[in-house]
Amino acid sequence: MNRTAVVTGLGFITPIGNDRAAVTASLRTLRPGLAPITFFDNPAVSVKVAGTVREFDVESPGWRDWRWPARYDFPRETLRSLAPHGLYALCAVEQALADAGLAPDAITDGGTGLYCASAGSAFMTHHQVAQIYAARGERGNPMTVVTSIAGTLNFNLAAHYRIRGAVGGFAAACASSSHALGCALDDIRLGRQTRMLVVGAEETNAATILPFAAMRALSTNADPATASRPFDQARDGFVSAGGAVCLILEETEAARRRGAPIYAELAGWGAAADGHSIAVSHPEGAGLAAAMRRTLADAGLAATDIDYVNAHATSTPAGDRSEALALRSVFSDAGARPRISSTKGLTGHPLSMSGVMEAAFCALAIRDGFIPGNANLVTPDEACTGLDLPRATIDQAPRVVLNNSSGFGGSNVCHVLRCWKA
Amino acid sequence: MKTRTPPPPAAPASVPEAADALLRHFPAEVREAYLRVVTSRDPAATDTLVLAIVADHMPRAEAGLADDAKLMADLGFDSVTIAEMVFFFEDLLKVSVTNAEIVRVRTVADLRAFVRHKIASLPRA
Repeated sequence: MNRTAVVTGLGFITPIGNDRAAVTASLRTLRPGLAPITFFDNPAVSVKVAGTVREFDVESPGWRDWRWPARYDFPRETLRSLAPHGLYALCAVEQALADAGLAPDAITDGGTGLYCASAGSAFMTHHQVAQIYAARGERGNPMTVVTSIAGTLNFNLAAHYRIRGAVGGFAAACASSSHALGCALDDIRLGRQTRMLVVGAEETNAATILPFAAMRALSTNADPATASRPFDQARDGFVSAGGAVCLILEETEAARRRGAPIYAELAGWGAAADGHSIAVSHPEGAGLAAAMRRTLADAGLAATDIDYVNAHATSTPAGDRSEALALRSVFSDAGARPRISSTKGLTGHPLSMSGVMEAAFCALAIRDGFIPGNANLVTPDEACTGLDLPRATIDQAPRVVLNNSSGFGGSNVCHVLRCWKA
Repeated sequence: MKTRTPPPPAAPASVPEAADALLRHFPAEVREAYLRVVTSRDPAATDTLVLAIVADHMPRAEAGLADDAKLMADLGFDSVTIAEMVFFFEDLLKVSVTNAEIVRVRTVADLRAFVRHKIASLPRA
């Protein structure tokens, strides 16, 4: 296998910033992006905090009511079929293309593909299906399907950017965009594509967030400063978040030939499932440990080669414990002690977008030379014994980084990113 | 921050809430035309409303709205955009339009005549 792939462009609409500079600054200084949130003006709703997106107003189901930063301009033919998270995604892709030095007409020749991940828009589904019910089935918005279902991102982005390579979406809950990124790497390795856009996006509205409260999976802590505290003994659930991230992956020689900026090499990936529960992670993190080992094997690396792990840890009691045990199994038992942090203490948990978002964070850490600390970690869970969980960001460039993701159904995916030298 | 259109002036008090949600991005004269359409079936007001909605949906914003302009060939509509515009009329006027009716509408004049016909069949407000 001779073909390798590198990260050449990033775009961010996230709770910790709407461009690369803001995101990097937040990761370096551990400036959190969580904020108070209310639903239905009802103080009895248990969820008080979310990783919200600034500079956008997408509370209406009608795109004509939306507001977004003036630096982005999109035609009505694109806007009419978007869900709120689709608007975030367009803005993230615009950034990533500019970051990679790619004009829009450079991605239309079939050599560029697009893999996306989102849960779809429960918000748009709710409103548009309600219209159909109100009309007793006699009429409905023709955009209902393409704005709402899982796949809305790839439908809309592929049409807007005239992408003619491989296009598809991935549905594995909170591991979705990690699957997208891994399959994008495989497409480049196999010679099927020269370049892949990988996009994850989610919304922060009642329709997306409150079903997780119904599962008792969300933090009920009302303090944005402490609600998301991965690995801490006092964690009480995750904080939902939204936004969009685009990562551009290119075949290494093609990227070199055009003089593309290179963040890092995506050196390998792997996936393994728990085979255990619809929603609860395996108690010892067996699937995640297997995914980490497969990823290391794919990249031809040993556990001792890893300098930093960006953990999936979302601040749930069960999930963080499982991941800690999996990390001990893979690293401690091999005599390795990488730095480990979960950046979800800053961002909250943006569900299917988290994998590509955190892969992008890893690329920033490698290129810009830092290891993000564990925001809000005061007293680590006993399950973390022996793991190196720095509280503060470290001014040290990691050479090789592992990124973990886990989703419902026990779907676990990991990636390795490596410092790239010309 | 930006909006696609400037903030609209306040809607006429008598425009129902559901219609106002659809028309608040249109100029005041279009919302007033809507009121005349639903209260008096005013043909001139119907034309004002139809032309404003066509202009708002048509992909070729620079094209003229001559009576003989073809929705697809001249104004750039495709089947998705026609479906979108038809739903706007359905939602605004609380009517249902069949596929057979849609395929008979080819020009701006066809559409004006069709909407006048649909409105004539509405119960009086």
